[in-house]
Amino acid sequence: MLSYIIRRLLYAVPILLGVIVITFVLFRMVQSPEAIATIKLGPKASRLAKDEFIKSEGLDRPMPEQLVKHIKRLATFNFGTSWKTGRSLSDTFLTGAGPSLLITLPGFLAGLVASVGLALYQVFVRNSLLDRSLTFFAVALMSIPAVVYIIFLQAVGALALKYFPAAGFNYEGFGTFRFIALPILIFLVLNLGYDARLYRAIFLEEIQQDYVRTALAKGVGNVRVLGTHVLKNGMISLITLTVAELPKLIMGSLLIENFFSIPGLGNVLVLAIQTSDLPVILASVYLGSLAYIFSLILTDVAYALADPRIRLS
Amino acid sequence: MFSPRRALALILGAALLAGCDNDPNPAPLHKTRPDGSPWLARYSGLPEDPRSFDPQYMYDSVTRRVMELVYDTLLEYHPMKTDPYEVRPALLEEMPQKEVSTDGKVSYLCRLKTTARFHDDPCFPGGKGRQVRAEDVHYAFLRMLDPKVESPFLSVFADFIEGMTELQEKVKKNQETLDYSWRLPGVEVVDERTFRLHLTKPYPLAIYWLAMHCSTPVAREAVEYYDGKSHDGKVRGDFHAFSAVGTGPFRIAEYVPRQRVRLERVEGYATTTFPTDGFPPEKAEWLQQFAGKPLPLVDEINMPILRETIPVFILTRQGYLDGMAVNKDAFAAMMSGTQLAPKYRERGMTLELAVEPATFWMSFNMEDPVLGKNKKLRQALSCSYDNKTYSNIFYSGVAPTAEQILPPGTVGFDPKWKNPWGYNLEKAKQLLREAGYPDGRNATTGEQLELRFTTVASGGEDRQRAEFEQNCFEALGIKVRVEELTFARLMDKLNRSDFQLASGSGWSADYPDPENFFALFYSKNMPPNGSNHCHYNRPDFDALYEKMAIMENGPERDAIIKQMNEMLADDCPMILGFIKAYYTAVQPWAPPTHHNLMLEGGMKYLTVDPVLREQKRAEWNRKPMWPIAILVCALAGGSLYARRWNRRLNA
Repeated sequence: MLSYIIRRLLYAVPILLGVIVITFVLFRMVQSPEAIATIKLGPKASRLAKDEFIKSEGLDRPMPEQLVKHIKRLATFNFGTSWKTGRSLSDTFLTGAGPSLLITLPGFLAGLVASVGLALYQVFVRNSLLDRSLTFFAVALMSIPAVVYIIFLQAVGALALKYFPAAGFNYEGFGTFRFIALPILIFLVLNLGYDARLYRAIFLEEIQQDYVRTALAKGVGNVRVLGTHVLKNGMISLITLTVAELPKLIMGSLLIENFFSIPGLGNVLVLAIQTSDLPVILASVYLGSLAYIFSLILTDVAYALADPRIRLS
Repeated sequence: MFSPRRALALILGAALLAGCDNDPNPAPLHKTRPDGSPWLARYSGLPEDPRSFDPQYMYDSVTRRVMELVYDTLLEYHPMKTDPYEVRPALLEEMPQKEVSTDGKVSYLCRLKTTARFHDDPCFPGGKGRQVRAEDVHYAFLRMLDPKVESPFLSVFADFIEGMTELQEKVKKNQETLDYSWRLPGVEVVDERTFRLHLTKPYPLAIYWLAMHCSTPVAREAVEYYDGKSHDGKVRGDFHAFSAVGTGPFRIAEYVPRQRVRLERVEGYATTTFPTDGFPPEKAEWLQQFAGKPLPLVDEINMPILRETIPVFILTRQGYLDGMAVNKDAFAAMMSGTQLAPKYRERGMTLELAVEPATFWMSFNMEDPVLGKNKKLRQALSCSYDNKTYSNIFYSGVAPTAEQILPPGTVGFDPKWKNPWGYNLEKAKQLLREAGYPDGRNATTGEQLELRFTTVASGGEDRQRAEFEQNCFEALGIKVRVEELTFARLMDKLNRSDFQLASGSGWSADYPDPENFFALFYSKNMPPNGSNHCHYNRPDFDALYEKMAIMENGPERDAIIKQMNEMLADDCPMILGFIKAYYTAVQPWAPPTHHNLMLEGGMKYLTVDPVLREQKRAEWNRKPMWPIAILVCALAGGSLYARRWNRRLNA
């Protein structure tokens, strides 16, 4: 397994290099040094100020030289500073990861429990009117754009019911929960329809297996069959699906953080995209691809650990 | 499945949820003032993070909103006088005295107030702030020359402050390093509190510079202490970034990036007081109670950073913000015609109109072979543009149409002036015929006229705007090809003269003088030197510009301003759009004392009634319990259904 992991890590190098080169060339092709200086210094900046910025950032140097410098900086995790906020990116990413994870991690876990629970419930009452209604409900959930959920649930939870703050964030121990409760709920609902449908299909396949019939024949109750046997066997597929979701958790949830003014990484990225803050965008893409590659390796490893029939070589 | 114990836990959990405080603001810094009177806090959202707290570096409006409360400027805009805008002394004891030497050189003698002090800070001996000295003003001007500061004001000041260009050259020769022992001849320190500003040429508008934060005095001790290194056993922040040692009515109590900025009043601040004159008649009686009072009127300002408009609307409705700009998203919900909707009026909220000294327009490229040489064609296109309907659609009719390049409040603004090429489709068609394009086709070749319209496209609404503008022009029978770009790319194209007609041009007054707007049509300000994006080049306009820029206000200057307005109107190098304006909905406990939008630091004049706020917040935030009952019933129903289903399966 170790040689497999090392090989996968080595494969990651050209992939990462490709990502860096493509994003760098793409963004530099659409933004001239003059346009970049305008982004950084504002439309009213003087010629002199723009020239000095272009020189100090090395934007007047040949493109290959800039690219090499860029790769070196990313490889050493020296991301520089944001053009928009002037803050160090390492500091921005480190302080942003906390609030992002506070939403995505509980949201992901609660979502997993809810969607697995709903899927098992549907499998339990399969082919009933309630099962069909829930399937319809799940499809409806899948069909609605994320921004509609956010606005709707913000309007319901914060404006109409007044249970949660409409926006804001503060580390205040258990009190922090009031800021993240509604975003977590929205994160959960966003994935619920898709996940419940998928897990229902997985569990339905499991429930038709011979071991389920055997268990039922031996007099094991329906609830126990579902809760232990079907769930355990369905876990192998679940692991594959869920581990691949991990990078999304680290990178935060762009829209939710933005709508709720949560100072996480998603918020950072949305602002960077809106303001063409190139250093943040390039560093985020790099970190995102890094996280994605690692999660794929982790998926393979987890798969092998969960299913002894699988050998990584 | 569903047991009574689980139901109880669910109900308790839901009740806990319902008991959650929905106020996102942190508790005020204190409950009472040292004298026992109530601590007054204001809550006002910021649309984004400040960019730096260095007064010689930052200049965007969001940062200024924070910084101008922390740093007093030498002069400041009078909060009540907006027609025209007027400046008054802040850190200075009185208005600068103009002196003309025998060789015609102009200087301004300025004297600092004895009450002007830097805030207490560890950078000073014993942590005690000291009096502001003339030397601090010299130091601030010197900082603009420091390449590390990246001051955007340097190029503006260098032309006018004596010795600045020479020193700039000296810095370049000294490996881009400024030696702070050098003296800037343009800022002569006369004595501890007095300095003289020497100009290279007469420039009365220099007075306005003193109302800008870039000329605000800075303590050298602060810059040297906040250098990102360890001092007094603690790693200190960077003055160029977010460490401020100010002179204003507030200090920064807390800045949490992407969360909030919190300001606390400076005990003992006595530099400025509430004005005693200029009150608008309709509010004069109420404002009289504040006349001459020490500032600020409140103790704390909370600025949560809220980028989206929906949370701002919700938080204002719940009383957690003291007011909000009624943006397009909130307009339908909050407004009824030109009034607040009845339900908001019943809450005691009021509506205030804020007009910014900012004009927006579309630029013609005067170097373009088709548009640049055909004045009638430009006039025709201007007449085809329905800016009134544009304002109605995209600004809910709040933004007034611009009749001239100057916004209201600037010197020489004539409210009776009418744009001769305002919307008139019949006139536009007539002008198009005269331009050689009857019904939009070339009179000689019969070919349909095709124009490239370059515009910003950062979202769906930008596309809608572009479509509206395209339809206006195509009503003339011409073909308009829309080129959508990011703002930075658009600026790039404008600078490179690579466009025919472009939207997205606008200017917000740096100071309320026509010179600031006419500079956009001065030929020496063509890109890359300035923002004459129309590439307008008219020698007699330039001559008048150079003359009016250095004249004192008076009838002669007014006549020149009128003449320049006429030239622009006749040549039509742009299509006038609108003046930036918006409504603000104000809570009953926070009536505004002024509407001066040149003043970003105007919150020091604002007041609040905390008792009424608490009462209204409690009234507006009662939580209904019925949704929890429905949720419990739904879960109980689902569980019972599963039990019955299980029985059927086992039967």
